[in-house]
This record gives sequence, structure tokens and C-alpha cells, in this order.
Amino acid sequence: MSTKVKVTDLIKTYGDNEVLKGINLSVENNEVVVVIGPSGSGKSTFLRTLNKLEEPTSGSIIIDDMDIADSKTDINKVRENIGMVFQHFNLFNNLSVGENIMLAPVELKKENKAEAAEQAKKLLATVGLESKFDATVQSLSGGQQQRVAIARALAMNPDVMLFDEPTSALDPEMVGDVLEVMKNLAQQGMTMIVVTHEMGFAKEVADRVVFVDDGNIQEQGTPDEIFNHPQNPRLQDFLNKVLNV
Amino acid sequence: MKRSFASVVSGLAVLITLLVTLGFSTTPAKATTTYQIGTDVTFPPFEFANKQNKYVGIDMDLMRAIAKDQGFKVNIKPVGFNAAVQAVQSGQLDGVIAGMSITKEREATFDFSKPYFTSGVVMAVQPKGSVTKLSQLRGKKVAVKTGTSGADYAKSIQKKYGFKIVTFDDSNNMYEDVMTGNSAACFEDSPVMQYGIKQGTKLKIVTKPAESGSYGFAVQKGKNQKLLKLFNKGLADLKANGTYDKITQKYLGTTKSSDSASDRSIIGLLKQNKSALISGFEETLWLTIVAIFFATLFGVLVGLMGVVPSKFMNGVSTTLIYVFRGLPLLVLALFIYTGIPSLTGQKIPAFVAGIITLMFNEGAYIAAFVKGGINAVDSGQMEAARSLGLPFGKAMRRIILPQGIRIMIPSFINQFIITLKDTSILSIIGILELTQTGKIIIARNLEGFKVWSIIAVIYLVIITLLTWLSNWVQRRTRL
Repeated sequence: MSTKVKVTDLIKTYGDNEVLKGINLSVENNEVVVVIGPSGSGKSTFLRTLNKLEEPTSGSIIIDDMDIADSKTDINKVRENIGMVFQHFNLFNNLSVGENIMLAPVELKKENKAEAAEQAKKLLATVGLESKFDATVQSLSGGQQQRVAIARALAMNPDVMLFDEPTSALDPEMVGDVLEVMKNLAQQGMTMIVVTHEMGFAKEVADRVVFVDDGNIQEQGTPDEIFNHPQNPRLQDFLNKVLNV
Repeated sequence: MKRSFASVVSGLAVLITLLVTLGFSTTPAKATTTYQIGTDVTFPPFEFANKQNKYVGIDMDLMRAIAKDQGFKVNIKPVGFNAAVQAVQSGQLDGVIAGMSITKEREATFDFSKPYFTSGVVMAVQPKGSVTKLSQLRGKKVAVKTGTSGADYAKSIQKKYGFKIVTFDDSNNMYEDVMTGNSAACFEDSPVMQYGIKQGTKLKIVTKPAESGSYGFAVQKGKNQKLLKLFNKGLADLKANGTYDKITQKYLGTTKSSDSASDRSIIGLLKQNKSALISGFEETLWLTIVAIFFATLFGVLVGLMGVVPSKFMNGVSTTLIYVFRGLPLLVLALFIYTGIPSLTGQKIPAFVAGIITLMFNEGAYIAAFVKGGINAVDSGQMEAARSLGLPFGKAMRRIILPQGIRIMIPSFINQFIITLKDTSILSIIGILELTQTGKIIIARNLEGFKVWSIIAVIYLVIITLLTWLSNWVQRRTRL
């Protein structure tokens, strides 16, 4: 296995508020890393620095041998290889479902529209929405929108996928479909970094679970180590709260 | 970031080039002997528009006769007394002939010709009113026209007789104020008042001409001396050959004018003033369309500068909006038309000055709601587009703008209607649009209520058309 993402001494501050306090993390090729932690711990901010939606204050983030914290790196090129899925889906409201998926391949890879449309239909089929190609975004349920968003992110053939609490804004009955899509993706060998509160997903799918609190990684390990033998008292406390509701 | 800066700068450059080109294309090719002469909008019998909307009167006829006699051409610009005086001071116009009294004060900034007319100030009141003497004015209001010798005279005797002064921009409004009884009397040059009464103004002269003064043709001090010499020579010729007497007799003679007998119904007024109203309508429409075009360009550009990821651009955008939204349209128009040329010596045609004014003012409002419309689009849309690898510009064009424009459309329609109405303010710099046309017609026939009704209806018609057009475009683009 080779290293896909290497984060070193990552610090992010907003004014006087230090949100990330020197995070170090390597993610290997084909690895699925699930990031858990209480809200406000900095896990979403951490994920967003990985494609520079948040500018790192200091430290380095190396993805495919390119340091994205370096201002000389063409961030647009790097982003083409990183798929991002948001909590609130963020589908483009002015485009149809198919156009949402086709936009980046047509604009950036200069694919012709027919090819892009064919690929979009295939992707929609893999997320179980082959009939929705011409639908408007507004006509879809939240779960459907999130699956389209995953298809959109996959359209650029990324080699890393970032998920920022992808099921948090969904009604409970929608969560299963989205997690199913993510599980399939993991089985196909996609490198994934997932911020989530779905402990079941973490246990089942993760190669490694990372517990973040107070702007730093407090503990990491296999799902068995984290869920069954937590060492850090903060982690024990956190698990106690989320698992024994 | 650099690229977006360059594109905005080049956009601004294109805009300015376009405007400058427009400016040159509307400036008549200047033959060596054509002079731009400013005059008042309406100061009968010296200058006023006749039914064919041609400027006539003692000043006009004299000026044209002198030009003919001396072999030069004149281009008469009826921009209003104050605007004409300022335009000559700033070099926008070559000379002014507007029943302008020669005073010590004015001689500091103007060179005057030999006097071509001697006049004096009289007081006029309601024919059946109780006021007939200066001494009866105590505590009452007196109407004057700004910048006239009547106004100076009123000021000089104000303390002694204890009245209040109300200032108007043209004679007609001043007469109207006396006729309706708001003011007890007005002070006016005697030939003007005589002529006005002859034309049907219901006022009566009750004093002998006072403070008699002389009217002169004026040029900017130290400039256009050749024109001044030509004027003096021509005037001497006209006096010698009898043309001068013929002209003054024509306007001050006792033969009754035919104008007062014409049809004064709304239909009659429409018929008589058809060509003037149509050209005023066209000018207003043209001003509106060109102004909307440039204001939209300017506004969108400045609005976009407010949302690009550059602190410097954001600052420029905020400043431009702050300044141009904060300046009253009237001040901005006068500043651009008379202020800037007096500094640079470069003339700006009134139409272009008007367009620039509207471009900045309306454009600032447009910029504000363009910025607001873009900011109103959920920030997640931009994040999602950028995450796919789309550069800022592409994300803006494909995702943010299409959604932002939908939010902006009602504001655009609203701003277009405001722009149309704001063109009326440009009458201050002498553009012969609908409002100015109305003023001129009323100056001739004194039918304020009917003519303003006609003008108001025309504005409403244009606004209705514009609204329909906007709605049609909105439907067609299905935004």
C-alpha cells in the first residue's frame, strides 16, 4: 500500500480561535478512514482543509505528491481528483440531475455531451436512480439528492472521496440507501475519508477509525480497538454518550 | 485572482471607450466658424420656443442676424440660464446670450459685448389684487427668478420693505406663483413682463422700471475674443441698417399676438405641440435605453468586483457603490456637466454627461443588488462547484450567476423604471427630454395643469411599455 494523503502538523485558526491544533494523519491507498468525534471538535473543518475549502493556517497536506497547502499548487487540478460529498448535498439548483453530473466532465475534461450523458446514466444506475436523469433537483427527496451528489462526485473519477456528515441531514428512512452506496464504493477499493455519526457504518466499513476532539486526534485504531477497547477517557465518554442513548 | 482583476479592468476600459466614442459621435463635427451659444430655456421675448419648437426671440433673432452678417454659424443651446452661464465659464459653450445684464460682478468672470438692449426691473402683481406699491409688501412673499437682475433688485430692497423672497428657476413658475396668490408680487425685467402680459399672463405692472441695466452678450473672460468682436461689429451693422429696430419691434410692438387665440383644449394642445412632444418622448426613451445599457454594464461589473475573492476589488466595489449611491442625481449631473469641464477644459456634450450621470447613479444601485443577489445564493453551491475542480470564474458563470440573476430580476425591472423617471432630472443640464419639453411648452402657453397632465400620461405609457417588455423578456428567458 502506498500513501494517498499525508497530513503533517496541520493547524487552522480563526482569529484567536485555534480549531485544528497540529493534526498528523496518513491515509493509505484503498483505505477507508472514518472520523468521529463530538460536534465542534474540528472534524468537519479538518475534512474541508483536505480540498482547501478551508485554507490551512500552517502545516502541509500532501495528496498524490502535491502539497495543497502550498499556494503554488494548482488547487483546481488537485480537486478534480478529490470527490467531496456535503451534509446538505449542494446539488446545483439551476441544473437537472443529469446536468449536475455532466457539468464537471464537460467543462473540465472537455468530454462531449453524449459521452458525458452516457457516463452520467451509468453512475445514476450505480446509485439506484437511473430513471432520474431528466428530473429537477427540487423533485428529489433528500436521500435521492445525496445519492446524486455522490454520483456527481464520482463523475470525475476521483481517487479519494471525502464525506462530510453525508447522512446527518437525512430523514432516518433515507439513511440506509446512502450508506449502502458508500459501502459499495468502499468495497470497490475507493480511498475514503468519512466524517460521520453513523457508528454502525464505522464498525462495519472502516479500516481505521479516528477519534477527533479539541482540534486534535485523540485516538485511532481498528473499529474493534476503538469501539471495544477505547483507551482515551474522552473517547470512552464520547462512546458512552452516542452508543447508550 | 490576477486574471479576474485584469478582466474587470479591461471591462471598465471597454465601457469608457464606448462612452467616449458615443461622446464624439454625438458632437457635431466642428466647422471652424460654428459657435456653441447657450441661452435660457424660456425668457420671452428674448428667447423661447415657437410652435415649431424653433428658438426665437430678440436674442435669438439678433444672434442669427449677426452671425449671418459676419459670416459665422451658431448652434443655439437652450440649456437654461444658470446652466448656460456655468457652461460658458467651464468652456463647454462659447458664449451666452440670455437677456444677461452687464454687472460688475459678472465682469469679473465674463467679457461682455457692447450693450444690445437696455432694460429695467418692474414689479408685477395680480390685476385685481390689493398690492400696488412696494410699501405694501411688508411680511409678504415675493417671487423672483434665480440669477436675474430682478432677483438682485429684490434683494437690495428686501430690508427696506421687509418681504420674503421665493426663488424660481424659470419665469413661468414665478408668474404662476403670483397668479395663484402664493406670492404677492414678482420682479421681472420690463420687456419680459410686457411681453408676458401681451401673451396672456394675468399680471399687471405697477412700478416704473428701476435699476435700469444693459443686456450684453458674454464670453468666458479672456477667451473667444474673436467671437466678441464679430458680435460687436455685427450689432453695429444691424443698428445701422435698421434690422435691429425691426427685430425689437417684432417682439415689443403693440400688434396683438396670435398665439393667445389658439385652441386650449387638451386635444388642441396635443395637436399644436405634437412634434415637440414626440421629440421629447424620443429623447427620453433614447436616454433611458442608453442609460440602462451602460448602467447595467457598470452595475454588473462593479457588483461582480464585490464578490470576487480579492479584498482590493471588494473595497473598490464598496467604495464606488457608496459614493455614487450617496450623491444626489442632480449634484452628480451638474458636477459632470459643468464641474469636470471647468477643471479639464474638455467639453462634454449634455447627452453624454446625462448618460454618464445615470450610468454611475443607477449603476451603483444595480451593483448593490447584483452583489446582494449573488451573496443570496447558498454558499454551498459555490463550495460544491469548486470542489469539483471548477475555477472561480466558471463556477460563477455556470452555477452562481444563473441562480443569482433569478433573484435580481425584479430589482432590475424596478431599477429600469426608476431610470426612466430619473431622466427627467437631466432637464437641469438642458437636455430636451420630456420634462424640459413640458417646461418649454408651458412657458409659451401657460397651461401648466393640462400640459403636465399630458406629460404625466406619456411617462406612465412609457413605464407601462417598459414593464410589459421586462415581463415578456422574463418569460422568454424562463429564468
